[in-house]
Amino acid sequence: MPRKRLRVTPFLWLLNKEFRELIVSRAWWVLLLLMGPLVGMSFVSSVRTYAEVSGLNGGSAGVGEALSPLIGVWAPTFSACELAAVFLLPFVAIRLVAGDRESGALKLELQQGMGSLTRVAAKAIVLLAGWLIAMLPPLSAILLWKTYGGSVYPPELLTLILGHVLNAGLTIGLAAALASLTEHHSTAAILTLGVTVGTWVVSFLGAVEGGFWERAAQYTPAAMVAEFQHGLLRLDTVLIAIVAAGTGLALAAIWLRLGVDVSRRVYESVGVAALAGIAIFACTFFRANWDFSESRGNSFPEADERALGKINVPLKIVAHLAPEDPRRMDLEAHALSKLRRIIPKLEVQYISATSIGLFEQASAGYGEIWYQAGGRRTMSRVTTAEGVLEAIYSVTGVTPPVETDESIFRGHPLAVPPKGAGTIFYLLWPAMFLASAIFIRRSLK
Amino acid sequence: MLFKVLFEVQGLSKAFGRIQALADVSFQVREGEVLGLIGPNGAGKSTLFECLAGVLPSNSGQVLEGGRPVVTRERSTLLFYVPDGIAPWPAQSVRWALEFTIGFLGGRANLLDEVVEQMDLRQLLDQPIGTLSKGQRKRALLAIGLLTPQPALLIDEPFEGLDLRQARDIAVALRAHAARGRTLFLSIHQIGDAARFCDRFVLLNSGRVRGEGTVEELAALAQQPSQDLEEVFLALT
Repeated sequence: MPRKRLRVTPFLWLLNKEFRELIVSRAWWVLLLLMGPLVGMSFVSSVRTYAEVSGLNGGSAGVGEALSPLIGVWAPTFSACELAAVFLLPFVAIRLVAGDRESGALKLELQQGMGSLTRVAAKAIVLLAGWLIAMLPPLSAILLWKTYGGSVYPPELLTLILGHVLNAGLTIGLAAALASLTEHHSTAAILTLGVTVGTWVVSFLGAVEGGFWERAAQYTPAAMVAEFQHGLLRLDTVLIAIVAAGTGLALAAIWLRLGVDVSRRVYESVGVAALAGIAIFACTFFRANWDFSESRGNSFPEADERALGKINVPLKIVAHLAPEDPRRMDLEAHALSKLRRIIPKLEVQYISATSIGLFEQASAGYGEIWYQAGGRRTMSRVTTAEGVLEAIYSVTGVTPPVETDESIFRGHPLAVPPKGAGTIFYLLWPAMFLASAIFIRRSLK
Repeated sequence: MLFKVLFEVQGLSKAFGRIQALADVSFQVREGEVLGLIGPNGAGKSTLFECLAGVLPSNSGQVLEGGRPVVTRERSTLLFYVPDGIAPWPAQSVRWALEFTIGFLGGRANLLDEVVEQMDLRQLLDQPIGTLSKGQRKRALLAIGLLTPQPALLIDEPFEGLDLRQARDIAVALRAHAARGRTLFLSIHQIGDAARFCDRFVLLNSGRVRGEGTVEELAALAQQPSQDLEEVFLALT
């Protein structure tokens, strides 16, 4: 029998096996096939819109000056990854994790004596590699954009890519845990989608109820991806995502040890979950964050940030706005989210009697935003960044910086239609993946 | 006759809820022997093998090697278990599965050609395991087991799915491996097959060991004048 005499370690053999199992998985090839058209749809549509607001077809180019490729092109283009991570990647991960048990291979492999966590790590490595391959279509869109003459700001793009890799890691961790806990592929798939829907419910409750749900919604995968889509890198978010994905893999490792008593596996799972809870809670205290967006869309102007940095007394903001009030959303997006990044001693409190605020408009005090610092108080109803900064400077006694338009982001208008993108994403990528599937699967035999 | 005990099972029990699958199972496995685990369907044979291999937790009991307990995670140095009715890595070829056995499970590469011949797998090497017939899959699984390095090989129903000629050829091959010192512990529900092939027997019924020894020893235990294993088994169960 002709045979290779490769002197490789058992772990490399395991990686080889997992990679072969990924390659023969139809779910993975479906993911690859669909990524092209999914990315194509969002890329073509976003580039066309970007071109139109940049002055294509005789439109005004004025709006284009404020356009950032990150928000205008890359966030929507890479949103295909978010869709794939929710609806396609779980099936790939579940197949890879549960397949061994269902075929009986796990009973043979367990007798090798390798640690269960190492075995699960091999699966996770291969799944992440598989995900990076699935991310080739959106990455190719960057090259296409460059050929159009588009501007690329690597730090914001890398931040966005990191967000989608972390999101995939969360999906892999979750799917691995549920695939090892349940007996069948389908049960694991339903539960994984159920958890995803659960996070959407948390986001919805956060938007409607505010309070605890609003804070919890900040840590859902959708909220995490939204931050990265804006070029914001928060250390707590990254650490929490890593801990959550690691917890999923650890649970998978516990439940794939078929020879260990179920009650012991339950105790170990509870222990791991408790440790993960503590670790996640600890992660929320890491406040380091970086705004990698070229437009500095998550930050106040640098002069204002320097001025705000001089505030060394605790600042409390009490806003009488209901969770669904658009003014509260404006306040959060334009001012408070930026303020939290630079003022560590900031306390924000929302007060409202209802969730929509519609019937509170006539109530005395509704809509007021109170600022308190060092025994001084001031009230404003303005929800813009400028209005909030003015109130803060007033209450803290810090001198506002001289206004300058030097640091204003002018944008990168590009009035070019998405030429050739349709052919590449609707034909070339699917055809290439299909041909690869046929060729690679044949060559494996 | 002098013999050396490879390992000893003491007081092994396993329950699935209220069903007692194994109850206080104890016996010895000797070096280089072909030991048959016989019993009717549902006797607990597969459960016993899975507990010994550490792929199913037992409620109590231990495995001793030289008087020293061998904990579950150390069993991979002592024994390897080949389950019945599985189709591992169904999309991968037989050739790859055998190479994986050598690379990942630490199998003996020098036996590869011999085992392929013995199990008559040469024509099937490039075929995915999932496409094999029941008998072909059994031969592939036996090849995987024979390549593994552990001193004891536990095989669940080694002749299941094989025709008469294949069963005889494989019995000869297994004997050849036993003659070189490999200990074989085979679960066989066809008592006739077991009687022809095994040196000693462990009789299992309803999760309990009803007897252990050669046919002569079992006949004496059963106080049966007949040396027919089927008669002895019926008398003891």
